Amino acid sequence: MTGGQRDIQRDIFLVSNSVDEMGGVTSWSHHMARLFTERGHRVHVIGITTPEDPHDLGELPYPTARLYDGQPPAPGRARDASMRDRATRLTRLFAAARPGGVVIVTQVWAMEWVRLADTTGLTVIGMSHESYETSKASSRFRRVLKHYRDVDRMLVLTREDADRWITEGLDNTSFIPNAVPWLPDTPSPRTEKSVISIGRLSDEKGVDMLLDTWSELAPRHPDWTLKIYGSGEDEELLRKQCTALGLDASVRWMGRTSDVPGALRGGSVFALSSRGEGFPLALMEAMAMAVPCAAFDCAPGVHEIIADGENGLLARPGNTGELACKLDQLMSDKGLRDRMGETARENIRRYGAEEIVDRWEALFTFLER
Amino acid sequence: MNRTNGVNVGVDQRPAMSVVVIVYNDEARLPTAVRSVLEQTLRSVEVVIVDDHSTDGSYETARRLAAEHPDRVRAYRLPENSGGCGAPRNHGIRETRGEYVLFLDSDDVLERNACRNMLEAAETTGADLVSGLCVRVHVDTRTRKEVKWYPWLYARTRTLDSISELPDLLVYDTLSTNKCYRRDFLVEGGLEFPVGIHYEDLFFSAQAYAAARRITLIPNRVYDWNVTESAAAKSISNRRAEIANFAHRMEIHRRVDRLLADRDMGALKFHKDVKFLKHDLVLHLRDLPFRDAAYRQEFAALARAYLTSIDPAAYDEVEPIHAICAYLLRESDWANLLPAVDTLTNRDKVSAPLVERDGRIYWCDAGHLTDPFARRILDVTELGYHSRSVEKLFLRNELTEYRQEDGGGVVRLAGRVTNPLGVIPPAARLTAELEFYARRPGVRFRTFRVPVPEVRHGGAYVNWQATANVSKTLRPLGIVDAVWDVRLHLDVDGKRTTSRLTAAEPDLATGELPVRPRLTRLVADRVAPQISARGHLAFRLVPDKKANVLVTRGLRGTPGRLAKSGYRKAKALRKRATSGDTKIRLYHEVFLRMPVHKRLVVFESHLGRQYSDSPRAIYEEMRRQGLDFEAVWSYSGKPDGFPSDATLVRRWSLPYLRALARAEFWIDNQSYPLKLTKRPGTAYLQTWHGSALKRMGFDEPGWKLKSRAEQAEQQRTLDRFDHFLIRSEHDVHTLAKAFRLSEKTLLRVGYPRNDELVQARGATERPPLAAELGIPANKKILLYAPTFRHHGQRRFSLPFDVERFAETFGDEYVLLVRAHYLNHVVLPPSVRGRVIDVSAHHDVTPVLALADALITDYSSVMFDYALLDRPMLFFTYDYEEYVHEGRGTYFDLLERAPGPVVRTEDELHALLTASTLEEQSVKYASARERFVADFGEYDKGTAARRIVDEFFSEWRRK
Repeated sequence: MTGGQRDIQRDIFLVSNSVDEMGGVTSWSHHMARLFTERGHRVHVIGITTPEDPHDLGELPYPTARLYDGQPPAPGRARDASMRDRATRLTRLFAAARPGGVVIVTQVWAMEWVRLADTTGLTVIGMSHESYETSKASSRFRRVLKHYRDVDRMLVLTREDADRWITEGLDNTSFIPNAVPWLPDTPSPRTEKSVISIGRLSDEKGVDMLLDTWSELAPRHPDWTLKIYGSGEDEELLRKQCTALGLDASVRWMGRTSDVPGALRGGSVFALSSRGEGFPLALMEAMAMAVPCAAFDCAPGVHEIIADGENGLLARPGNTGELACKLDQLMSDKGLRDRMGETARENIRRYGAEEIVDRWEALFTFLER
Repeated sequence: MNRTNGVNVGVDQRPAMSVVVIVYNDEARLPTAVRSVLEQTLRSVEVVIVDDHSTDGSYETARRLAAEHPDRVRAYRLPENSGGCGAPRNHGIRETRGEYVLFLDSDDVLERNACRNMLEAAETTGADLVSGLCVRVHVDTRTRKEVKWYPWLYARTRTLDSISELPDLLVYDTLSTNKCYRRDFLVEGGLEFPVGIHYEDLFFSAQAYAAARRITLIPNRVYDWNVTESAAAKSISNRRAEIANFAHRMEIHRRVDRLLADRDMGALKFHKDVKFLKHDLVLHLRDLPFRDAAYRQEFAALARAYLTSIDPAAYDEVEPIHAICAYLLRESDWANLLPAVDTLTNRDKVSAPLVERDGRIYWCDAGHLTDPFARRILDVTELGYHSRSVEKLFLRNELTEYRQEDGGGVVRLAGRVTNPLGVIPPAARLTAELEFYARRPGVRFRTFRVPVPEVRHGGAYVNWQATANVSKTLRPLGIVDAVWDVRLHLDVDGKRTTSRLTAAEPDLATGELPVRPRLTRLVADRVAPQISARGHLAFRLVPDKKANVLVTRGLRGTPGRLAKSGYRKAKALRKRATSGDTKIRLYHEVFLRMPVHKRLVVFESHLGRQYSDSPRAIYEEMRRQGLDFEAVWSYSGKPDGFPSDATLVRRWSLPYLRALARAEFWIDNQSYPLKLTKRPGTAYLQTWHGSALKRMGFDEPGWKLKSRAEQAEQQRTLDRFDHFLIRSEHDVHTLAKAFRLSEKTLLRVGYPRNDELVQARGATERPPLAAELGIPANKKILLYAPTFRHHGQRRFSLPFDVERFAETFGDEYVLLVRAHYLNHVVLPPSVRGRVIDVSAHHDVTPVLALADALITDYSSVMFDYALLDRPMLFFTYDYEEYVHEGRGTYFDLLERAPGPVVRTEDELHALLTASTLEEQSVKYASARERFVADFGEYDKGTAARRIVDEFFSEWRRK
């Protein structure tokens, strides 16, 4: 399939677990909805549930819908009946589509409703926004295999993840990477001697391993600080660990931020110490800001974004000694930081919004052949 | 979903794909094949059916399909039958209009997404050829068994700019059907199937691979190759066909070789040669024992002609037995080839008498060994046959006579058991018996034994003769025991070696014998000998009575199905009852509720593999002091070498679990099963098995990476330790921290296993082990003890030439080799007496105490051996790989090694040549002292006694 040519104008339905929560997939849906709308498509963003504390979406250039005002009934007979009922609402929404309409199901849980709706005449695309390994370790694995078996295309984030799903028997799998959310005009000046980490303070993000790593680095680099952005359920535990490791002097807990570019302007190196990832946005944002990264190579998405030694550095997952070694390289060598930061900024353009939307439109056309 | 609003392929619109479906006399299955194309998720596909002039209704069926789908299906018929796949496919290519072409046989089907996936790959990469995974579906089996066709080639998506990047693709995946070809690529390149010869796919695929400018492989399943087992017996005419097929195969191979040579791809021929030796040839060699002399000669002539073109270097790339068979076939040495084929079929069998020449072991001599090439091929020293005792050998037992006496139920059997390297000594006391047993896996064994009155030693063979009254002996239970296998137990001075009876010639064993089944004679009352696929003699009930037809119908019908599924359920139930989960439940719900058994101690070392290390040292000290207690030792595998004055229990057995649940003490150096919780009334004394160089526990990446819940689970198993032995503060900073142990569990007493070493320090007399190993007093003893290494499939091999070592230093030193207990080492006979494998000794400590110097790399024995204050050499040939690519180390060995570090074999030789052990000892004396202070400060030679004082003083008899 070849991109480039402008696609016909389509009705595109983006169906997620929720349209107004903070998670990565929801932000992705709204980002794509905006991009598709800019191309002249008619976009509908649909959520299954409504969270108790909905995130304010502000003014949107496309309509949204929610199947439930709160949560659906607990699994069982009541849930089944309500699912059939709400699926008819989906059917009504879908029926209004012009020929060439597309349903994009961003999370497998939402597929349980979509599969009950009538999608005749529409192209149905199912997505998994995490690495194969992460799915494999969760209950989503079986559900992806079951509910996405008959969709027109199942999409993951990298070729490598797609190959793993195919080998597992999902022969309709392909991939499209995520788009970088923005490409700023002014990069980080990389003047402040800080290592930045941005992410939820949860087990999956591995901040405990970053602190272990930092305990090897801090004595060697007394003039550097580690700035940890984010909040979450593990904050207290992590702060205790930090104190126990004697790192309070060099670690700064920055809390949650809505100004990611601003945060990145306050540092010269970015660290990613996650246990699992999909196609990490934080990494793309740092690279877009020309901040060189050192990361655990914990998912195909990570080595898809970072070419080790060219535009960033990779360490084997969990090997804190090695991650410390990579960070040390960047912290000790300004020339290397500048070189890798600029290369990163250049390289990350391949995930620019234009390129990615072209790929989506080409896929819509291809699936009609 | 998007299935109904498809854009139909108009007459004037070129389809993306054309699928050429060929058919010959297969009207029943053709519609299924065609439907699998029409129902593709990609709609822009056309079908071109080519009928090879069938005599059934295939062409009519094809025309009907074309009429039903006029836009998408066309049907053609060849004017006369071509007898192959080549002509119809060539015709099909000419009739296609799509941008890409695929081939499908009328009995197979395409996966639903095959065309879409191949098209996506082709358009994304611009490949001339896209190939996907083919799956062989055994449609006759109950579960429709599926076998993937060379899946390792299709593990991931990859694009090749030339087949030279992946020779295995050309060599192994020789199918034409799991691929899609750009039509212009076929037409402009003039690529066609050869006609009038079998194996046309081999040539076509090789040709396409060689011509393609780009090839993309996709992991997607694209093609289902439906396989039906043909039960047709192989008749003489089939034999003729077999030879003709083989001739065709050789001709195709020659054509492919020419093609590669013409295209300047000669290097690929080497890979083809390797596969020929280990695959193509083997398929035919395995049949040889079942074929008569005329067939063998014809086959050999054809194969020999081709073998001359095989690169001699290819022989080095295959397993020894493959090379040996090819070589013996080339040399027409039938007397040695047929036994070799037996080993080819039964890999663990030793089928040749073997010869020893100049310290090496060879498969056979027969005049071959004057040729250096033959010596290389026939050298089987590395297989270690010479280091195995008779009860560990599976020997070839050739049936030389089978005679039915007077047409009755009595059979005279004679045979000869191979005696490799005289492993059965001439003076050995020999007795033997034949055993008949019903082939019924998983159910109660029914066996009958017949004495073998005559067993004679005959040098390279042991000959035997017996008369078996089969009619009286074999009492099948009606039709249940349909097949009976036979084996010979040969006792050599009380050691038993068991062999199967191999019929080396076809038609040696024939004729039917009357038997009396126990339940009913209605079904069968005769057995006939038969030879199994592995070449072994068996007997099968002859089912030709009328009643049997009824019974058979019953077996295949509903009653049989019910009986069989009941049997399967019973088997599954038994498996569940003995599963680990059930045992763990039993442990917690029954055994743990029984009272603690006072003074019961369960010992274990290295997961039950050995009677060794600190648990042994503590146990022996407790015995020495005559304590009043009950000892249980755990073992895995065989209990040989474990103490006779303790109760021995197999690891994971019910007695083992009961003992652990009730014990007052657990004493172990690694870990008891992780899933077993320890009750508070039991004290766990964890001795551990060595100080750490490499990162351990929660300092290892693998542990760090675990989720919080998994880490907590792991911690629970570590928190079972009530006491943990410590040799130095280094252990506190590494092991204790890595296992997150609390200070109160740490016992700073040193290792009981090392008491012996501390006491041996400065000893002047050699321990008795020297005499046991036959080491002369005038030679110094070096010990080579490397750490564990992962080798995947490959055998562990020493990182230096052991023969060269023995040659150079054999007059001065005896080298002991101690491989890690998970690795296995083979020494050639040439180094006998100069290099000794001591890996099988349970305990390493006496070996350490014996050695005058140690050569190691990163093994933790360095920390223990240092206590002896004797020279140590560090042979770290793979330091970078081991230290940096592994999980990391706690300190830099190169900085702190208490002895010289060498990186290559030559450096090792140079070091041993340049200086004596005494000089080494003096030079590094202070470094060793520092090393002991850093890593063994608490090893004072009294650890075992202090532990007894601390925990068991109450148990002293008053």
